Amino acid sequence: MDTFRDIIGALSVFVLPAMIVGIPLYGLVKKVPVYESFVEGGKEGFGLAVRIIPYLVAILFAIGMFRASGAMEWLAGALGPVLALIGMPAEVLPMAIVRPLTGSGSVAIVADLAAQYGETSLITRMASTMFGSTETTFYVIAVYFGAAGVSKTRHALPAGLLADVAAMLFAVWLCLLFFG
Amino acid sequence: MLNYIWAGLIIVSLVFALASDIGDVVNDPYRNGQPLAVTLEFDRPYDADAPRQPVRLLIDSTAFRQAYGVDGTPQASYDATLRQSDDATELVLADAEAELPAPLDVIRGATNPRDQILQGTLSDLRLAPAASPPGTPTASGARATAALTFAPVRFVKLGAITTAAIDFAEVAVTIALGLIGVLVLFLGLSKIAEDAGIILALVKVVRPVLGPLFPEIPRDHPAMGMIALNLAANVFGLGNAATPFGVKAMEELQTLNPEPDTATNSMVMLLALNTASVQLIPPITLIAILGVETNNVYFPILFTTMGSLIVAILAAKGFGRLRRYRATDPLRHGPVATPEA
Repeated sequence: MDTFRDIIGALSVFVLPAMIVGIPLYGLVKKVPVYESFVEGGKEGFGLAVRIIPYLVAILFAIGMFRASGAMEWLAGALGPVLALIGMPAEVLPMAIVRPLTGSGSVAIVADLAAQYGETSLITRMASTMFGSTETTFYVIAVYFGAAGVSKTRHALPAGLLADVAAMLFAVWLCLLFFG
Repeated sequence: MLNYIWAGLIIVSLVFALASDIGDVVNDPYRNGQPLAVTLEFDRPYDADAPRQPVRLLIDSTAFRQAYGVDGTPQASYDATLRQSDDATELVLADAEAELPAPLDVIRGATNPRDQILQGTLSDLRLAPAASPPGTPTASGARATAALTFAPVRFVKLGAITTAAIDFAEVAVTIALGLIGVLVLFLGLSKIAEDAGIILALVKVVRPVLGPLFPEIPRDHPAMGMIALNLAANVFGLGNAATPFGVKAMEELQTLNPEPDTATNSMVMLLALNTASVQLIPPITLIAILGVETNNVYFPILFTTMGSLIVAILAAKGFGRLRRYRATDPLRHGPVATPEA
């Protein structure tokens, strides 16, 4: 298991340089006008970033308001007893709620829990597992669909959120199994 | 669904902010309009005519706790400036960063949002003899007791959610513009890869695995290659590279979409794969916080991410079969004829 982790770790160090150097090099071998191709492809970048803006503003400002309103603390308090049934400490709940909403917010929660309960506590480990195993669903939706100009997202959000809920439950269960 | 969640976030914020603010009106935790007894210490003798003079503000912690019904302890003293004019005597703290116990920190933020400096009106200023015992040479001129009243604090949360809305709108633009560099870099690279035939070769390799997940993508379409690059970047924890490839994949999928404002099943699947975040490398931010302790949560993270990946795939496929989502499928009438190159 440890060697598996080491191999992945070593690979990940080389993937990016290999891509940045390897792709133009291979293109050169294939007689592609690499500089012209790069510039041609990169031209889209600015337009894409600008196109994303309204989608990202819409999502982020609503999430910002929600965080500032204190609704999250109330929710954590209200759901605490229910979560105790599945073995999830109430302290971890804010993480489960915030993770799909904001990346920076969930980083702050992990850091906060680590400072408060220690890095080796079950609470910190559970929150870290939740943090590491899923992405910020709302951000991904805003950026990816924003870039494509899609506003009717159909079942993307339900599917993403269901996967998030599953990840939270797996995290609780696996941490109890590993460290409980 | 996004419509309801989005509106829900805004409405819930407003409801909670109002509830909290009305609670404040009832409970008056900031003691609006009621003075706090304080002591002032002067370095030089008090001058009744000076428009500004430096003072030290002393807040007795017992009196403070009693007044506000809290547990916090103020600092031993705060440097401040005494401002006197014909109309009013004001006390302004010198240091905006000074550590203030609750609820003074909230009062500071709410009454002076621009400068974030605590200030209040002084009344009932009474000079007292120096506190030091007689005989000791003392530099301090004199002490005085006074009553300090802050401007009333109302609708704190309402102000907070408004500020948050505006701040986060700015943050969103910063994030989007910050993406330009990596977008250009990786879009440029992927164009070279496309022209050199790497993408097409990649499509052939990954089709057996990804094909069943994306049945709508025609054979040898570059979208599949971009999706493969996006997933590969995720697996190796290269978030910077994953976004441009994912965005490019979305654009490629859009070329197969007859209704550009509506997501196709393939787009939903790509999104589900990305939100489940298939990664074998823990995020750098987690390593930054936990250090070596990250190693201990490596396998829980790995198994969790795989479990949620399976759920994401099943959810994307399963929800897509529901009648309400089938009815909105842009490809419900069959694929669009793609112009052959």
